[in-house]
Amino acid sequence: MAEELENKIKELIVKRLKLEIKPEEIDSSAPLFGTGLGLDSIDALELVVGLEQEFGIRVKDEEVGKEIFASVNTLAGYVKKKQEEER
Amino acid sequence: MKTLDIDQIQKILIHRYPFLLVDRVIDLEPGKKGTGIKNVTINEGFFQGHFPEEPIMPGVLIIEAMAQVAAIVVGSEFRGKEAKPEERMGYLAAVKEIKFKRPVRPGDRLEISVEIIQKLANLFKVRGEARVDREICAQGELVFTKGTT
Repeated sequence: MAEELENKIKELIVKRLKLEIKPEEIDSSAPLFGTGLGLDSIDALELVVGLEQEFGIRVKDEEVGKEIFASVNTLAGYVKKKQEEER
Repeated sequence: MKTLDIDQIQKILIHRYPFLLVDRVIDLEPGKKGTGIKNVTINEGFFQGHFPEEPIMPGVLIIEAMAQVAAIVVGSEFRGKEAKPEERMGYLAAVKEIKFKRPVRPGDRLEISVEIIQKLANLFKVRGEARVDREICAQGELVFTKGTT
């Protein structure tokens, strides 16, 4: 279940940001920004739009800390938490 | 729905001649969306060279006009607080998949509609559409930052 969500997020990242890699090439624990996947703040904005469209999650400004967007793992944890809250 | 005349626009935007590309704003919902009007005349400086035989408004200036309308939509939320010039600054951060469907010529009344679709910290993602006589001339998405970077 957790893995399924992570795969969905990887697909979202690749599709939304038009990355020229396959979703499965993303390491779930690698940093998304800077050294890892090398995303920037404009990509973060695009991901927030994607999260809202795909998962129906509204991300608030103050929540977008380094922790949530640190890796696919942390992002999946956040999505799961949000989905449970809204139930 | 609010409207803004050129005096009100100049209180929000710091752009000036020859680079103020919005004459009036209609249907303004501060912080959400708005439509800017740009009346294009043969006296525009850029028509001198673009092009002498066939005057066409440069596509990049349509993008710039979209960015200015977006800046008004965001800036009008803070109107009345007498923002300092540096706080009124904005920078274009990304231009995404803009299409140009019809050239803009002297005599055209360009209607530029923008909608803020996402905000993240000081970054804004905007969807824009420019029309003449209800016909789409350009459409696409922009990202800009507000305030000093």
